[in-house]
Amino acid sequence: MKDILLKTEKLSKSFSNGGVMQHVLKNIDVNLYKGDFTVIMGASGAGKSTLMYALSGMDKPTLGTITFGDETISDLDSDGLAVFRRNHCGFVFQQIYLIDSMSVMDNVLAAGLLVNKDKKALCANAEALFAAVDISKETQKKFPTQLSGGEAQRVGIVRALINHPEILFADEPTGALNSKTGLDVLDTLTKFNEMGQSVVMVTHDMSSARRGNRILYLKDGTILGECDLGKYTPGDKKRHETLSQFLCDMGW
Amino acid sequence: MRKAKGQNISITILILLAALMLNLWLILAMDYTANFDRYHTKLNAEHVTLALDDADGEVRTFLNEELEKDHAVTEFLLDPCLHMTGGMSYNGGEVSSWFVFFEKETALTRSVGRAEIVEEGDCTSGVYLPMLYKTEDIDIGKTIDLKIGSHVVTYTVCGFFNSVMAGSHNCVIMEVILTDDKYKELETLGYAPKGTLCSVRLNDSADSLNFEASLKSRVSEKFSDIVMVSNCYGIVSQSRYISQMICSGVLSAMAFIILLIALVVIASNIMNYIQTNMKNLGALKAIGYTSKQLISTLLLQFTGLTLLVSMIGAALSYALLPALNQMMIAQTGIPYAIHFLPLPFFLSLGILCGAVTLVVWYAAGRIKKIEAITALRSGVQTHNFKCNHIALEKTKAPLHLALALKTTLSSMKHNVTICITMLVLSLVVVFSGLMIQNMILDMSSFLNLIVGEMADSCINVQVEAEDQFLNEMTQDDRVEKVYLFTSINISHADGAELLASVCNDFSLLNNQNVVFEGRFPKYDNEIALAAKYAKEHNMRIGDEITIKGNGKQETYLICGYTQLSNNLGRDCLLTREGYEKLGSLTNTSYYINLADGADIDAFNLDIKESLGSDVVNTTINIEATVEGSAKVYVMLMTIIVIAILVLSAIVIVFVLYLLVRTMLNHKMRDYGILKALGFTTGQLILQTALSFMPTVILSTVVGLFVSSLVINPLTAVFLNGIGVVKCTFTVPVGFNIAAGIGLVGFTFAAACLLSLKIRKIAPRELLCGE
Repeated sequence: MKDILLKTEKLSKSFSNGGVMQHVLKNIDVNLYKGDFTVIMGASGAGKSTLMYALSGMDKPTLGTITFGDETISDLDSDGLAVFRRNHCGFVFQQIYLIDSMSVMDNVLAAGLLVNKDKKALCANAEALFAAVDISKETQKKFPTQLSGGEAQRVGIVRALINHPEILFADEPTGALNSKTGLDVLDTLTKFNEMGQSVVMVTHDMSSARRGNRILYLKDGTILGECDLGKYTPGDKKRHETLSQFLCDMGW
Repeated sequence: MRKAKGQNISITILILLAALMLNLWLILAMDYTANFDRYHTKLNAEHVTLALDDADGEVRTFLNEELEKDHAVTEFLLDPCLHMTGGMSYNGGEVSSWFVFFEKETALTRSVGRAEIVEEGDCTSGVYLPMLYKTEDIDIGKTIDLKIGSHVVTYTVCGFFNSVMAGSHNCVIMEVILTDDKYKELETLGYAPKGTLCSVRLNDSADSLNFEASLKSRVSEKFSDIVMVSNCYGIVSQSRYISQMICSGVLSAMAFIILLIALVVIASNIMNYIQTNMKNLGALKAIGYTSKQLISTLLLQFTGLTLLVSMIGAALSYALLPALNQMMIAQTGIPYAIHFLPLPFFLSLGILCGAVTLVVWYAAGRIKKIEAITALRSGVQTHNFKCNHIALEKTKAPLHLALALKTTLSSMKHNVTICITMLVLSLVVVFSGLMIQNMILDMSSFLNLIVGEMADSCINVQVEAEDQFLNEMTQDDRVEKVYLFTSINISHADGAELLASVCNDFSLLNNQNVVFEGRFPKYDNEIALAAKYAKEHNMRIGDEITIKGNGKQETYLICGYTQLSNNLGRDCLLTREGYEKLGSLTNTSYYINLADGADIDAFNLDIKESLGSDVVNTTINIEATVEGSAKVYVMLMTIIVIAILVLSAIVIVFVLYLLVRTMLNHKMRDYGILKALGFTTGQLILQTALSFMPTVILSTVVGLFVSSLVINPLTAVFLNGIGVVKCTFTVPVGFNIAAGIGLVGFTFAAACLLSLKIRKIAPRELLCGE
């Protein structure tokens, strides 16, 4: 039996668009489990990102509850959500979003020092993470605009993991990268997941989705179906077929 | 322009304030002084006035002959009058002056130096006073006690008049008009001796000072012991406009300070505009726009805005003018009819538009350096990679402070804007503190500078009865100190008339700063001369000066510089023995310091009663007299200080608004990232406000320190027109420190409030997909 990390009950999100209400998420009940690599898929406008905003505390739902452990995060105000994010979540963005005026190391430490006051331990952790994603000492001193896309996204992953988050949210992490660097990033995420890190990733890309062990498929604001792929193994053809079939069933 | 609404509102308000104050300043500086000349012409006022004893008409005959043959004179009038020193209650204090009493009909029909009734009631028997003195207590139908010599006479106030050369106690001579019956009554009572008022108009008003001295010299050569007082156009035109001068000086300073800040803000905004719109500007260049065309767009935007706003600001100044006019009239005593003045109006527009055009042209010059290709590819890199300021790995500063310092060090243009603003505002705050300390809370330093010597009481006694008076003083327990300090007119042989303060022992003076360089006269051949006058005549300490008085001439050695400003820098100090080389004193004024808590009025009354009018001519409660006259200045300065402090607050808010707004626009993405990483709104607001603080604190500390050092010399430059060469105002260190802390605190609070917009930055906007 897996431990539940995040749980939603009747989660709904609506937007007013020119006076017309758009119901983007409709009564979603879903559990996210510890250690899973959950992938959220769906067509454009299905509500993938909206679901991720809500799950990660970036946005508040219109109705329903989201519970993290004993804490109902859907009741938190914006500062409460910020504290929730800093303590429990890590984020990897499609556009990477490193702060250009800070060095690579400072980008990571700015997030780390918010939670961990022990700078020595934090620096050691940062060094270990940099080593794990193959970012050299020299590169740590550089500024984001001096990095390649792949390097920048790997720095983004280190920043997301510096506070040992319970969940790592990744929003189209390879969307802005070429296939080679995209693959490196996926390898990195997979590696951290294998080390026990829970990951939630939104993607359009089937080869990226293959890295997950659990696929949630969204359509018109509801979870249309879910697929359990099991542990990721490189070159597993059956996994690919299962996913293809699932997506085909979902009308992908 | 539409996009930068907030920026335009801030610049609009700064330009509006600058235009408003600039126009007010120009109106005060250009037309208020001219107003004196207009009234001078309207009432055919004199350039030199002389009031002198003349019981039998002998002096009148002499003056008639002298003035007839003098080619410098265009017109003159000799009228009988009554004259005597006197005083009255005014503004909660007392004013004392040399009263010249005229019969109403004579006063209103004089061909030279006519008075003009500005307000009168139905009363047919009583007194008309200069319009300056109209207050709640002194009004038509009310009674007033006039002290005439040592007598007090009660009159009903019938009305108020305007007299250019004798309409205020600042004029030395103060005209008092009596109805026919009251004039005859005073003549019969004999409280004021019969005299002649000589009013002279000259070919050239610039000669008034010298003519006054020469005429007095001719009179004293003929009539050695005659009592006479005089004034001239040069002194009166300046002394009636001291508050106007102070006010216009402050307005001009504030106008230029705000303009400077507006220009810095405009320059900073243009540079930011270029930085943020680099790609757009590159695109425009790529499709064929020239740099000149792009700069012209900015010029049109800012100069057009400035022109429009300046017109509104200058027009708005006319809404404030009535209140300012009331304040000015309370000191000048000359009515001023508010009317539209095209020259100050267009000059204000010209100054503001010219300054803005120059700054925009200079700041927009960077557009010329933009290469279309570079700009289109990626904009121009704005971050330099030479230095990672405050590396988080190494710094010991707390996280939020470290991040704030990073922002500070990477925003040099903002720092320059803040630095200039805070340096200027520090100077303004120090000036306010100086005025609060030395004018509003404790006037002694200001009075020492303006009035010169201050004591509790001044008693004018007959020279023959001096010993009796001094004997009485030594026996009175209330008296702490008594010393001779009497003022007499003398002349510089090659120059103007000087007001000599004669003292038997200058070491007894309460204000030992009267001589600020060299020393007080000790011997009968020494003189301390007004620094302004000495400078004008190229005389130095150690030089000799020839002085004339009572028909005699003596040479004195200049031993020190004074800056008594009650004669606008034409003063000197002589020992009694020194003065007596020119002639003997006819009456003597003694300054008296009383023990703490002693009632000055009661003391004066006791002395007058015990010694009688054969010994005591007049008694003056100096404290009350000065207080009465000073109230106008205190009120004026209070308003100025409040206005300055409010303006400072407004300026800080607008400058910060622009900077915070620019920063938020630049760092919107960074704030979104930081929020997504878990920074709260409060933490980001704190970081933003803190990022301004190093520059604010540093420039405020430096500004306060430097301003404290230069404020006295600067004020001396400001007051140079009234003879002040060196200011020794107390710089209120405590106030300055408190004001500095207040300034920094206010800036921090304002920065926090203005940064509240950070609340609206939503981290979810960073996520994309869908």
